[in-house]
Formats: sequence, C-alpha cells, structure tokens
Amino acid sequence: MSILKARRFPFGSRIHGTKLSRYSPIETIPSPDFVCISMSQHIGAPAIPVVAEGDVVKKGQLIAKAAGPVSANIYASIPGTVEKISEITNGLGQKQTHIRIKNDFTGNEMLFDDLKDRSPSSVVERVALAGIVGLGGAGFPTAIKLSPKSPLDILIINGAECEPYLTCDDRLMLERTEDIYRGMKIIAEALGLTRIIIGIEKNKPLAIEAFAKYADIDVVPLRKQYPMGGEKQLIYCTTGRKVPVGKMPFDVGCCVQNVKTVLACYEAVVLNKPLTETVLTVSGHGVKEPKNLKVPLGTSFSSLIDYCGGKSDDTVKIVAGGPMMGKALVSLNQYTRKTDSGILVLTDKETNREKPSNCINCARCAQKCPMRLMPMMIESHFLCGDYSGAERYGAMNCVECGLCAHNCPAGRALVQSITAAKNKIREMKKNG
Amino acid sequence: MDNNAFLTYSPSPHIKSHITTRWIMIRVCIALLPACVMGVIYFGLNALLILALALFSAVASEFIYLLIAGKKIKEIAAQFDFTSCVTGLLVGLTIGTNYPWYAPILGSIFAIVVVKMLFGGTGKNLVNPAIAGRIFIFMSFQAVVGEWLLPSIGSVTGNSVTTSATILTELLNGTASQLSNWDLLLGTGMAGCIGETCKLALIAGGIYLAARKIINILYPVLYIGVTGLFSVCLGGFDFSLFLPSILSGGLILGAIFMATDYTTTPDTTLGNIIYFIMLGLITAGLRFATKMEVVSFAILLMNLLVPLFDKFIITRPFGYKKIKKEKNNG
Repeated sequence: MSILKARRFPFGSRIHGTKLSRYSPIETIPSPDFVCISMSQHIGAPAIPVVAEGDVVKKGQLIAKAAGPVSANIYASIPGTVEKISEITNGLGQKQTHIRIKNDFTGNEMLFDDLKDRSPSSVVERVALAGIVGLGGAGFPTAIKLSPKSPLDILIINGAECEPYLTCDDRLMLERTEDIYRGMKIIAEALGLTRIIIGIEKNKPLAIEAFAKYADIDVVPLRKQYPMGGEKQLIYCTTGRKVPVGKMPFDVGCCVQNVKTVLACYEAVVLNKPLTETVLTVSGHGVKEPKNLKVPLGTSFSSLIDYCGGKSDDTVKIVAGGPMMGKALVSLNQYTRKTDSGILVLTDKETNREKPSNCINCARCAQKCPMRLMPMMIESHFLCGDYSGAERYGAMNCVECGLCAHNCPAGRALVQSITAAKNKIREMKKNG
Repeated sequence: MDNNAFLTYSPSPHIKSHITTRWIMIRVCIALLPACVMGVIYFGLNALLILALALFSAVASEFIYLLIAGKKIKEIAAQFDFTSCVTGLLVGLTIGTNYPWYAPILGSIFAIVVVKMLFGGTGKNLVNPAIAGRIFIFMSFQAVVGEWLLPSIGSVTGNSVTTSATILTELLNGTASQLSNWDLLLGTGMAGCIGETCKLALIAGGIYLAARKIINILYPVLYIGVTGLFSVCLGGFDFSLFLPSILSGGLILGAIFMATDYTTTPDTTLGNIIYFIMLGLITAGLRFATKMEVVSFAILLMNLLVPLFDKFIITRPFGYKKIKKEKNNG
C-alpha cells in the first residue's frame, strides 16, 4: 500500500483549513450537572418520552422510544432525576421537546443483557434498540441501512473526515482501532458481506497505518479533497462505481457507514451499551484550547466551550458541525445531539461576512462542483423564479456540500439558492 | 437573550476561500504591468500619459455613474472591485501614442458607461468592455490618425523599416516582411499600439495569470494555435506564415487578456474549447478576407454568441446516464 496511490475523484477542491486539535487525545469530560436531551436527534419522527417529570433514571435507561420505523430510541446519558419535559427553542431556532435530567452523581448505570447469538437479525435488532443513527451527520437510523432490500457486496467505512477543523474521527481511528475493526466485522456479518473497505484521506497517515495491519480489510488512501466524505464520491473513489442520478448507494451494492457509527454498533453489540455518548471536536480560533471530547448526549454547548478555556472576545459565530455543512447557532441554548461532530467557535478572520456582489461568470463553482452541476445557472434561474429551468440544470442532484459558495469570488450564496430551489421544485412537483 | 448578541447567524458554508473578485482583478492588473512598462520604454512618456488617462477616466466614470445612480461614495469605494482598472488599462494599451489626448478618455467612458454599467455593471456586460472601447476608438479616430507609430527602439536584426504600416497588414498584402520573428516577439522596429508590440511582456503576464489559476492556459494557447494553423492553411500551406501570423497584430493581447474575460466566455470546459476554436477560425478567416487586423472584431462577434453556448452546452451531473430511446418499428 502506498500513500502515493491515493485515489481521487474529478472536480472537488482542496480546502485550506486547519485541523487545530489533531494531536490532542480524546478527553472524557466530568459528568455535567444537568443534560437536556432533544427528542429529534435523527431523521424521521421525534421519539416519544416514556418517563415523567420527577422520575429517577439510571444512565442508559430508555427515556424515549422510537415513534415508527424511521425514528430512534433515546437513552438517559447521566443518572439523576427528570426535572422537566418541555418544548424549548434550541440554538438552531427549532422548537423541540427536550427532557432535562439533573445529575445525582450516583454513577448508576444500566446495560443491555448479553446477546445470545450474533445472528444478523439479532444484531440488527440490537442496533435498532440501542438507538443508533448515522453519526456522520445525516442521522438516518442505522438499523434500516443494515436491512437492505437488494443484495450488497461491499461494506465501505467512511474515515475520510473531509471537513476542515474536525478531528474526532481521526482520533477515534487512532485510539480505538481494534474496537472499530471489530465493529466493522459485526456489521459485515450482519449484512452477510466479506469485503470491507475503509477510505481514509491521506492527511491522516497514522490512521491509514493503524488499519493497514488488518489483512482482511482494504485500506484505501484518499486524496485530501472536499467532499471526499460524501457517499457518492467515497463509493466512486473506493470502488470505482458511480451511483446513478437519483439512486442510492445500495443500488450499486454498497453500504456506507461512518467510523463513529461502526464504533457505536460495536459498543451496543459487544459492550451492551446504548448510545448515550458522542465524541466531538471543539475547535476554531475563538476557543483557547481546541480539544476532542467524549461527552454525554445533551451536554450544553456553553459548558463544553468553557471546558476548553472559554471563547475569545472576537468570536462572531458558533457552529454546530463542520465549517462547510454545519449550522450556525442563534443562541447558546443548544445541547449536544447524536449527530454532532463538532462545535466551532469562529472569529471574524475565519468567517466570511462580506456582502455578495455580481456574478462574474468565472465558472469556478462549476469547475469545483463534485456533482458537476452549474451552480451559477441554477442560482440565476432560481432568482428569476424559473424553477423548471433550475431543474434542467440538475438542481435536484445537489449534495449541498457548499463548495460553490466557498469558492465564489463574488461571495454569492449559491448553495443556499440551490437548496431553496430544491424545495421549490419538490413543492412544484407535489402540486402537479 | 442579550448574551447572544455577538452571534452571527448565516447558512453554511462558514469559511470562504480567500479569492474574491477584487483579488482576481488586482492580479490581472499586475499581469498587465510588464506590457505597460514595455509600452512606456518603446513609446516614451506620451504612452504613460495615455495609459494614465485611460485608467483614470475608466475608474472615474464608474464612480460618477454610481454616484448618479444614488449610491454613497463610501459604499462605492467598499464595493470597488478593480474591474474598471483592467478595462482602463486595456483600452490604453490598445491605442497608439499618435492619438489625440481625448481618445483614451472617450474610449474608457464608452467602455465603462455604455458597455458595462448600462447593462448592469460587473459581470452583466454582453461584450468585453475593453474590446468595445477599442473598436469605438478605432472607428472614430483611425481615419484621422492614419498609421501606427514606430517604437523608439529599432529592429534587433538591424533592418531599418521605413514603412509605418503594421507588420500584419504587410503580411496580408503580400509585401515581404523585413522583420525577423525575434523582432516580432520583442516588438522592436515594429509599428503598433502601446501594448501590442512587446509580445514577450504579454506572454509573461499570461504565464503569471495561469500560474495563479486565474485563467486556464489551454484556452489562449488553443486560440493562438488555431489562428496560426488556419492562417497557414489559407496561405496555401506556407508554414513560414505560422509565427508571423500569431506574433503580429493584437492576437496575443486579445487571446490572453480579452478573450479570456470571465463574463464573456462560456461556463463549461467543452463550451470553452469550441468557443476558442471558433474564435481562431474566425480571426484567421476574417484577416485573410479583409486584409485588416480583426482580433477585436472576432472577439466581439463571438462574445455575442456566448449566451447560446451557455444555453445549449451544459454539464451532465455525476452518474448521469443517457436515457436510450426505444426504436419504434411502426
């Protein structure tokens, strides 16, 4: 295996971003005083609370159950008393039901019983029970992905972590290599697959080395290129298969899982732990000591930022997730969710807050688009209200990676317009 | 809550590349500097005056237009993106020192106000403002001014050239050229406008732009190459015509700095390749048909076709498959 042979896909771009916390090991934070757990941490229907105010819960106790097939169970992440179940507006401006638990520091923990057998159906059942969703950011329930309708032949593990700043997957791959490896085997067995590929960007040489020692998985070094972690790009780079327009990875016989999801499956199946913790990166130049942290779900963002030395005075933006696809907060009233992979505290220098000017037709967006669309044409059609014109230029294929807006010299909100155009096209189709 | 007042809300992406329109246009101005310096060396301080007048009037007319349009001076200064500097410099570079002093001023005002601002400003113009400005001056003053001036530095090969017609006109009229290709490259002993004489300076600027990834070097090379080859074909496969035809006239300046203007080129790679090949064919064809220097007219003509390119040549999304139409036997 040579690092020089790193695979790449056409188009896409390098992003000059700093991985500030690359060398800081994952720290477990001291148990917080309280947690506030959202009921909508995944795609699909919000979970339904099964505890009442005043109940005493243990860590790992079910507090909300899945509401339907596309939903996920939620477990208490600390032991304590349920203080409040109410609808609050979170930092993203969404109204969601939250369960607030006050810590009693007793350390009571509940685990699942040992699995009797590792048959595919019982593994999938356990993954569904543990409330595991796609932890890379999508939040799609993993159990559904593990019961595919068409036959698969390759399991692809996503270790690309192409977003700048974020380093939690990198650290996990270094520190918990063995556990991730076992998790892959469990998932592969559940799917009945023998071929496992892990794709890692070559700016993480230590992680590539760490996985190279296992003979029965293929480690594919990938070029440092954004958005390498996108499903379609990753499948193309690791297997050479192109996912056709409008199709899903399972149509080409692939199942893509994030490193964190794999680890969560391992913990649920072998260690009998439900999903109550997540590993995330607190980074950005606005925070004193960028760190990788292991935190209980529902920990408040402000306490995590304080744990990393607090924010500096020139902070202008706090982002949940990566800098390219993450969401900016409107208030600090935000609590960690399953899908969070980073908290970025950005200063004025790092963020761009210039006003947009006229498009100069430089076609940088079209040159960089990983889906080979023409963002400027979609945008101009959208702004004129010509939604069918936007569709003709392939608006529905956009993966919303944000490269077009990142590279636009005029600072135009290209990806935002395309996202809005997609909604309009969907609306238009619904109404006939 | 008051403690959240410092937070800025905006959709992703939250980081941005350092490249802005202003960054690009300043780099283009830098790339034009060698040509300006060589122009001043060849044609004296008069050239400097013309360049300065063109540059100043281009920037001033943009400011005045925006002031009349009701914008505040601070706002204009904050949004100033140096595109009018590029236009002004190009207009100045494409005229000779024997033009009256008001020619560059009129050319710049026409380019900025009529061609650029009236159509909506940067990025909205249908044709390249500098090309339109050049043609405007050419049409208005050529009859009065007559012929191009010779530079102060003589031919490096020692041939004294008495004619003041451009080398291209000589070539096209079948007059034997007394200049070597080295003279053509350096612009010594060769009549022409300020910026078009020293090809080496223009090529240096082009290499700088390509290294900075502002232009794709393939496109100007394609344009120049196709023009040269088609000239050879039209000239009865006389390969000695190749170098003189690409090194004379405004071809290099037009190919590197004018034809590659972002706004007036197609958006796709395929579209660009077709565009520059057509441009080369039209340039060579028109040169032989009219016996005149036609680079700017060719670019103007092709600029007008760009919307058609953008309408019909579009990229296919990743993973796109052609839907095969089933044949009807009936």
